[in-house]
Amino acid sequence: MLGRTNGGFGDEWFPRMSERTSNSLAPVGLAALAVAGAVGGAAVVSKAFKSSPLGAAPSSVSPASAARFLTQASFGATDSSIADVRSAGIQGWIANQQAMPISGSHLAYVQNRINSRRTSPNKAAKALLFNESFWLQAVTAPDQLRQRVKFALSEIFVISILNATLQYAITGAANYYDILAANAFGNFRTLLEQVTLNPMMGVYLTYFANLPANPATGRHPDENYAREVMQLMTVGLYKLNQDGTVQTDTDGNPVATYSHDDIAGLAAVFTGFSWYSANPVATGPNNTFYPKLGLLPVDPAAIINPMIPYPVYHQTTAKSFLGVTIPASTTPDPVGDLKIALDTLFNHSNVGPFFGKQLIQRLVTSNPSPAYISRVAGVFNDDGTGVRGNIGAVVKAVLLDPEARDDTVATSATFGKLREPIVRVANWARAFNASSTTGFWTVPNTSAPMLLDQTALTAPSVFNFFALGYTPPGTSTSAAGLVAPEFQVVNEISVAGYLNFMESVITIGLGSPPPGSRVPDIRTTYANEVALANTPADLVARLNLLLLNGQMSVALQNQIINVVSSVSVPASPPAAIGTALAQRVQLAAFMTFASPEYIVQR
Amino acid sequence: MTMSFIDRRGVLKAGGALTLLGSAGAFATQLAAAGEAAAQAATNYKALVCIYMFGGNDAHNTLLATDTDSWGRYFAARNIGFSPIALMPPGTAPTPIGQVSPVTGRVSQPYTPESWGGVLPIVPATSQPVPPATSATPPRTFALHPFLGPLQTLFNSGRLAVVANVGPLIQPTTKAQYIAKSVPVPTSLFSHFDQQGAWQGGTETPSNAGWGGAMGDYVSGMNGANTVFTAIAPSGNAAPGGLSLFLSGLTVRSYAIATGPIPADVISAIQGSSLLTSNLAPSTIASLIQPTGSTSNMINDYGAIVSRSINAAGSINTATAAAPATNVQAAPAYTNPFNGVSSPNSLAQQLQAVAQQIANAPQLGVNRQVFFVSIGPFDTHHSQNLGQPDLLGQVAQALAYFDSALSNIGGADLRNVVTTFTASDFGRSFTMNDSGTDHGWGSHHFVMGAAVKGGDIYGQYPTIGVDAGSFYNPDIVGSTLIPKFSVDQYAATLGTWFGVSDSQLAVIFPNLKNFDSANLGFV
Repeated sequence: MLGRTNGGFGDEWFPRMSERTSNSLAPVGLAALAVAGAVGGAAVVSKAFKSSPLGAAPSSVSPASAARFLTQASFGATDSSIADVRSAGIQGWIANQQAMPISGSHLAYVQNRINSRRTSPNKAAKALLFNESFWLQAVTAPDQLRQRVKFALSEIFVISILNATLQYAITGAANYYDILAANAFGNFRTLLEQVTLNPMMGVYLTYFANLPANPATGRHPDENYAREVMQLMTVGLYKLNQDGTVQTDTDGNPVATYSHDDIAGLAAVFTGFSWYSANPVATGPNNTFYPKLGLLPVDPAAIINPMIPYPVYHQTTAKSFLGVTIPASTTPDPVGDLKIALDTLFNHSNVGPFFGKQLIQRLVTSNPSPAYISRVAGVFNDDGTGVRGNIGAVVKAVLLDPEARDDTVATSATFGKLREPIVRVANWARAFNASSTTGFWTVPNTSAPMLLDQTALTAPSVFNFFALGYTPPGTSTSAAGLVAPEFQVVNEISVAGYLNFMESVITIGLGSPPPGSRVPDIRTTYANEVALANTPADLVARLNLLLLNGQMSVALQNQIINVVSSVSVPASPPAAIGTALAQRVQLAAFMTFASPEYIVQR
Repeated sequence: MTMSFIDRRGVLKAGGALTLLGSAGAFATQLAAAGEAAAQAATNYKALVCIYMFGGNDAHNTLLATDTDSWGRYFAARNIGFSPIALMPPGTAPTPIGQVSPVTGRVSQPYTPESWGGVLPIVPATSQPVPPATSATPPRTFALHPFLGPLQTLFNSGRLAVVANVGPLIQPTTKAQYIAKSVPVPTSLFSHFDQQGAWQGGTETPSNAGWGGAMGDYVSGMNGANTVFTAIAPSGNAAPGGLSLFLSGLTVRSYAIATGPIPADVISAIQGSSLLTSNLAPSTIASLIQPTGSTSNMINDYGAIVSRSINAAGSINTATAAAPATNVQAAPAYTNPFNGVSSPNSLAQQLQAVAQQIANAPQLGVNRQVFFVSIGPFDTHHSQNLGQPDLLGQVAQALAYFDSALSNIGGADLRNVVTTFTASDFGRSFTMNDSGTDHGWGSHHFVMGAAVKGGDIYGQYPTIGVDAGSFYNPDIVGSTLIPKFSVDQYAATLGTWFGVSDSQLAVIFPNLKNFDSANLGFV
C-alpha cells in the first residue's frame, strides 16, 4: 500500500467533469469555481477541478477516496460502506442517504428501556439509556450521514444531560436528539423553531415560563436564550462577509452583530412560553405554566411536546432587535412575535457563513478557506431552487466541495481536524464490525479526562465540548493564527486516558459487562483482520484503508509491520496460532488508533 | 464506572515501578544538582492560585451593603416573583420550614432565603465612603451570603480580603462615558466565552494567552529543569466547562493533572518490556505517538502534548506518592445544606491536589507556580436559589480547607507564600428576571493568604439600586455594575507580589498605563 496516493482522482476525470454540467449539483461546482477564482485561488481551482468527484462515474471512486469521504460523512468507513460509495458514487451515496428513512427513534428506545424495567432506573441510569441509544445508532444505523450530521447539530444547538433537570427528563433529551435527526436534511428555519420551542432547550437555557418585564419591580425577561441563540446558533458575535471573514469598521475593529439592547429586545419575545398541556391553565394554584419544585412540569407529555404560548405572560411592549421593531400592542401575540424573531434570525446574512463554517468544522476541517465557506454559505442562501436554509443541500455542499475532496489539499500543513474522541471509538466499532452481546450497547459515561473527555449530548456547557474559536496556546496551530476547536479537550491527562481506553477497548472490548459476565458488552473477533495477520503488510494495508483512508505514512506502516512481525506465529497448535494472530491484529489496531496521523483527520 | 476497562490502579502500580527504575538514576542526579536550589526553595517559594467560578457569580448576593438605603433598594429589587432571591437582613434567624417569616410574611420553604437566616456581617478595617445621593449613615456596613460562614471567619482573622467591583476595563469608564460610547470598552461584554477570555487573559489579549501563564513565562527560570510544573491545572472529573486560558503563556503551558493520589495518567502500553508478547511494541509505540516531523501542524501539536504527558508523569507521580505530599490534609466532604446529602467537594479536591504539588515543590526544584482550579456553573438565569448558595457553600468550605491544609505542609506553614484569589466570567444583573439574574459586568472577588492584607474591602463598594425618579446611580447602567477597578489592576497587584516586575506587567497588561494605580494594595 502506498502512502499518500491521490486517491484515484487523476487527470482522467477532468473531461468527464466538464461533460456533466447538467448534473443537478453543477451549480455548486460552478459557483465554487467562480468564487475561488474571484479570491485569487487559481491554483487551488485547477487542482480542485481536476480532482472533483462530481462527474466521476460511480465505479471510479477508489477505495481510499471512498474511505476518506466516509471519515467525514459517517461514523467511520466499513467494507460495505466503502463498497456502497464506490457503487453509487459520492454524490449518489449522499442522495441515497438523504432519501433513507430515519433509522430509529431515540425517544422510543429510551422509553422502551424504562418501561421494560420493574423499577424505574435512577437518573444516572436513565442518562445511560440515552447513551445506549446513541451508540446503537451511531455504530449500526444505516443512515450514517444523518447520524453524523445529527451529532454535528447537537454540538451547535447544544443541550446537555449534565443539566440536573435534564437528567430527570431523559426522554425529553432523547426526543431532542430525534428532532435534530428529523431536521438534519430539512430546513434551518424549521429546525430553529423546533429547537426554540423544545422544552428541553427551554429548561437548558432557562426561558420556559419566562415572565415579561415589570417596570414596577425592575424585573426583566430572562436573556439567556436570546443571547445564546444569536451568539452560538445563528448569527454569531461579529458581522460576517459571505466568506466568513469578519467585517471591520474604519478603525479595523470587528463590527458587532448585536448589542445588549438587541439581546434585551429579543429576550422580550421569548416570554410567555411554557409547558405543553392539553388543558393549559395560566394562573392560580393549578396553573400549568410554572414548573414545580425540581423544575419539572405537571404533565409528563410536556417534557416531549413543544412548549405552548401562555399569552397572559407575554410581553406587549415594543421589542427591537437586529434592526427590526415589533411595535407595542395591547393584545399579546407570542406566536406572531416569535415568527418575526425567528424569521429575522433566519434571514440574517450571517447565518450562511456562520452555520456553514461550523458544519465544515464538525465534518471536514477546522480552518476552511474563505472560498470554501463562501461556496457553502451560498448554498445556504439559495439551494439552487430559490430556497434558503436547506440543510440537506448545505451538507452536500460541505462534503462535495473541492476543498473537502481534493487529496492535494489534504496534505497541506493546515488542513484537517482532530477526530472527536467518541468518533474514534465509533470508528473502531464500525471498522471491525463490533457487536453488542446484549444488544443494548451499554457504553458508560466517558466524560472523565482519564476516559474520553466526551459523552454524546453531555457537553459541559452551551459552548459545547469545545469552542468555535478555540486555538491551543503555544502550538504551531496558534502560531499560524488558526483554530483547532477539538484541542480544547486535549491535555496531558486526556491523551494518556485515550490511549489507555483504546488499549482496553481493542484488547478486551467496550462497555459494561452484562449481568453475570465479566466480559465487556461490545466486542469484535477481528475476523477479517485475523485472516490477513500472517501477512503483516496486507493487515496494515487494510487498517490504512479503513482508518486512515490510505493516508498512512510509509514510516508508520513500517513501524506497525515491524511490530506485528515481531509476534511469532507458531506452527501449532491451532489455539496458539489463533492467539498469536489475534495479538498481531490488536497490536496493529492499537498502533493505528494511537498514532496522531490517525487522530488528526485529513 | 464498572471495571470493564483495565484496572487502572494495577496498571499504574506496574507502570509506576518501571518508570521509577528507568529514571531513578537521572532523577537522583537531578536532585543532587538541584540540591542547593531546592533547599532555597523553601524560603523563596511562591504560588498564585486562581479559583475560577464558571458562569458568572452573582456578586450582589455574595457581598452585600447592609446600610438602610442600600438594603432597601436591594431587597425591593430581589424580593419579587415566584422565587425571590433577596437574602434576609443580618441577625435574622433561619425560619423553620412551614413557619411564617417575620421578614417576608411568607411561609418558609426549602431552598428559600427565609430558611437560611440572615446575611453574615463583616466589618472592613477601612471605612467605605457613603455614596452620594443615598441616605446611608457612616460607617457603611456589609455582610456576606449566609452560606459563606467560613469566609466570614477568614475575613475576621485577617487572611481574607474583598476587592469590590472589579471587571474588564480598557480605561476608567464612567456611566456617562459608557452610555455615550465615548471611551473604548472590552469587546463582547456579557458573553461568557469572551469575558472568560478577558478575565483570564487580561483585556488586551482575550484569545491567545492567559495572565497566569504570562507571569509564569517571567518566573519559570526559577524552576530549573522542571518548568513543565510552572502552571498546573487539576482538572477534577466534573469540570464545569468553559475556557481555561489562564495558565497559557508564550512559553509556559498549562499542565493538566488529575485529583487524587496519582496526578498524572500513565500510558500503560509503553510501560512494560513487552506488549501482547512483542518486545518491540512499547518502544515503537512510544516513538510513533510523539511525531515531530509531520507535514501537519495538528499532528505535531498533538505529539507535543503526548510528549509532555510522558515526560512529566514519572517525576510528578513519584513525588506525589511520598511525604510530604501524602501528608497533606484530605479534602473534606461537602454536605448540601438543602438536603443534607454529603458528596465530595470537587473544588476542595482540586485544592488538595494543588497543596500536594506545593508540597512537592522543593523536591522538584520548583520555586514559582501558578494554579487554576474551577467550580460552577454559576450561570444562574433561573432558580438561582437552587444553584448559587450551594456553590458558594462549596467555595467557602474549600477555601477554609485550603487555608488549613497550607498551614501544615510537611510541618511548615506556607500560607504566607500562597495567595489564592477568585475570578468569574462577570457579575450579574442587579435586577431579577423571574427567578434568577442575567449576565453583568463588574463583580466582587476574594483574595486569601497570610500575605494578604485581609479583613478589609478594597476599592469602592458601589452605590446600590437602579435609576428611578430623582435617584441616579453612577455605578449601575441599566441593571449592570460598571467596574471601578480593572481586572488588569487586580492581576497586576497579584503579579507584583508574585515577583513580576513593573516593566513585565506593562507588557502583559498594556492597558495598565491607563489607570492611576497598578497596585491595589491588598497583598
